[in-house]
Amino acid sequence: MTVDQISVPDRTGPAARTGRATPAQRPGISMTARRQRAFYLFTSPWIIGFLLLTIVPMAYALWLSFTTYDGISPHWTYVGLGNYTELFSDPQTWNSLGRTGLFALTSVPLSIIAGLGLAVLVNRPIKGRGLFRTLLYLPAVVPPVGVGLTFKALFDQNSGAANGVITLFGFDALGWLSDPYARYVLLMSVLWAAGNVMIISLAGLQDVPRELHEAARIDGASAWRTFRSITVPLLSPVLLFQTVTGVIASVQTIMPLLLTPEGTTAGVTALPQSNYLYMMHVFSQYFALGRYGYASALLWVLFVLILIATGLIFKFTSGVVFYNVDPEAKK
Amino acid sequence: MHPRAGASLSRRRFLALSAAGAATGAASLSGCAMQVSTGVSGGGETVTLMVKPDDLSPELVRQAQKDIGVKITTVRYDITKLIGMMTNGAPPDLVRGVGATDAPYFAARDVMEDLDPYFARSSILRTDDLDPVNDLWRYDGRTQGKGPRYGMAKDFSQDSMFWYNTALFDKAGVDYPPETEPVTYEEWLENAKRLTRRKSGQTTVFGGSYNGVSTPNLLASLTVAAGGRLFNDDFSRVDFTTPEARKALAWYIEYGRSRVGPSIVQPDPNTWDGPTFQANRMAMSNSGYWLGGLINTDKKLAPLARLAPAPVFEGGRRVSPCQAGTGLWMPKKARNKDAAWRVFEWFFGEGPAKARASSGWGIPTLKSLRPLMPAQGDYQKRVLKVQNAELEHFSVIAYTPYATADSLYALFNQEAPAAMNGRMSVDALAGRLNSLMNEQLKRGKEQVG
Repeated sequence: MTVDQISVPDRTGPAARTGRATPAQRPGISMTARRQRAFYLFTSPWIIGFLLLTIVPMAYALWLSFTTYDGISPHWTYVGLGNYTELFSDPQTWNSLGRTGLFALTSVPLSIIAGLGLAVLVNRPIKGRGLFRTLLYLPAVVPPVGVGLTFKALFDQNSGAANGVITLFGFDALGWLSDPYARYVLLMSVLWAAGNVMIISLAGLQDVPRELHEAARIDGASAWRTFRSITVPLLSPVLLFQTVTGVIASVQTIMPLLLTPEGTTAGVTALPQSNYLYMMHVFSQYFALGRYGYASALLWVLFVLILIATGLIFKFTSGVVFYNVDPEAKK
Repeated sequence: MHPRAGASLSRRRFLALSAAGAATGAASLSGCAMQVSTGVSGGGETVTLMVKPDDLSPELVRQAQKDIGVKITTVRYDITKLIGMMTNGAPPDLVRGVGATDAPYFAARDVMEDLDPYFARSSILRTDDLDPVNDLWRYDGRTQGKGPRYGMAKDFSQDSMFWYNTALFDKAGVDYPPETEPVTYEEWLENAKRLTRRKSGQTTVFGGSYNGVSTPNLLASLTVAAGGRLFNDDFSRVDFTTPEARKALAWYIEYGRSRVGPSIVQPDPNTWDGPTFQANRMAMSNSGYWLGGLINTDKKLAPLARLAPAPVFEGGRRVSPCQAGTGLWMPKKARNKDAAWRVFEWFFGEGPAKARASSGWGIPTLKSLRPLMPAQGDYQKRVLKVQNAELEHFSVIAYTPYATADSLYALFNQEAPAAMNGRMSVDALAGRLNSLMNEQLKRGKEQVG
């Protein structure tokens, strides 16, 4: 049955009774137009959601960023680019941005390496492979709030298990949730969710044709050489995806807030300096200081920076990402 | 059978039916939204309360329906959600608030309902029966403590007082603080240092906790105790460089630096003193009478715990303010004001108020409920005697309407750790706090107009 046969009008239906033409009979409505219409009909829930829940709030935040609005006070003013000017002269903005960049540069490669390593391990034909896969993935499904609570309990200076082990060996307890150790706890909390990277990498690994590995083995290539020259290039689109989404997630992380024992609105500024990342600055301006306008400006700057970072990642990886597509498909 | 039955639904008809359905739905929703009580009883109506789970248990919600016939729906307290609801013109009917700091802030922004007319016609909440602590909920456009009433406290404490654990004092060989005369803040800190126990870099017993209800209010109270004022006359500026404010600030920084108790540089994972004090891991807790609600229920702790007056600074004033006065207020745009007032009366003057008064969780805010305060056991009689004596020194310390407590606390938190960790002098900190807080207050004043 063809598509045309499906759209033959029902002669007993409303169109027949009114004598008007059905869509199939209307001149000028091509198959392409009908396909487009179907496309928009099917995607309209997402498009409407995207417009209402993303574009409209973003536009509203853009408008707020030109004002001194605080959500409740009666006299707010339009300040034009005033918030943006202040933002660029605010040392907290630059310091938190620098820390965020450093955090992204550290946490993204670490979590990709850890996740890929785990994926390679659980991709091997070992006994209980399914169990290991499940166990290694489980931490990734723990909600961030749960991770924050667990880590706070583990690393509390006076009652945490981490210091319990340290003092058992005769060392003094460490202030894990204060500087200079707080940044390591934050990194550990990121690695805790490496199961996410593992599961995607595992799917990628299972897509690597087995005959390529066999050919390499016959040619005498070592395991490392096979991994470097066959597995990694074929996984490169997956790794690119993880890099881009990892960078976006890392600059937007609110995990430092969940790790602070003083987890209140005002407590955000009491975070150890090393964990006072850009989103913490945004959070404190929005919710602690009630500066909706200024915080919206901070968010718009972050949005632009993410766009630039994503563009740069695509630009610099365009020559090293291998897309296994049929060259004939473009013709 | 209807001749059209079974026929396929045309798009036109579908749209027409959808439009009719939508219009009907919208009309009924609008009808619901516009349903405003006109009577005073509030019977059969629904009132939305934005509170914390501890404020109103599900049992109390059911009790309200039984007692006064009003259905209560609760929304978890969240300042951001509250602002969103108010912006949308659909605020809750009653909202939790901290009288000491929230009342001037919201009243100055004209979002609170003036409750004077409601009090005037109430036979349950008579103004001559209101404890003076309820003046925290008054604001005359310039000063807190005067003018119309915008809310009421559910209970209160004099939050500069402290509890101590006699067993831990005995263990450390430290004399008990007197129960009638205040110790000085310097003595309190000295005692806390002697009571603190550490092992392998871990604090096993906190000598004392002194953080107040919110740090900005604590600092304002400490400054008054030192004989000065933190805010200027129109509450648009702070000055930490006056001798009194500096003295108060220096004391609090020394408290944090010495690590004798929880602070922003040494947070207690329990987030409040109760569990730590109960576990015999805190020798002194800066909590007012309300902590008795917890202590009363612990047979082992109750005989060991004692309440002491608010400390004083040498050469300063003896003041013992309430730093919270947590209660409820009614938004100006509340939709169901009469029913909300009925809930208000019930919550503050009837069953729930009596239950709170007899539990020991704070001093009742109606003078007529004072006889219900627990005084059966020797321990309770002793605590009540100290508390009653302390009421002589009660005072209202007015707070600024130009900034939230959270905002000033956040700015304090931003700078104070450096001073508590010895990387910044108290004088430098005072200057930084003046600069940051006055900038925030200036913005607030401009927006209040």
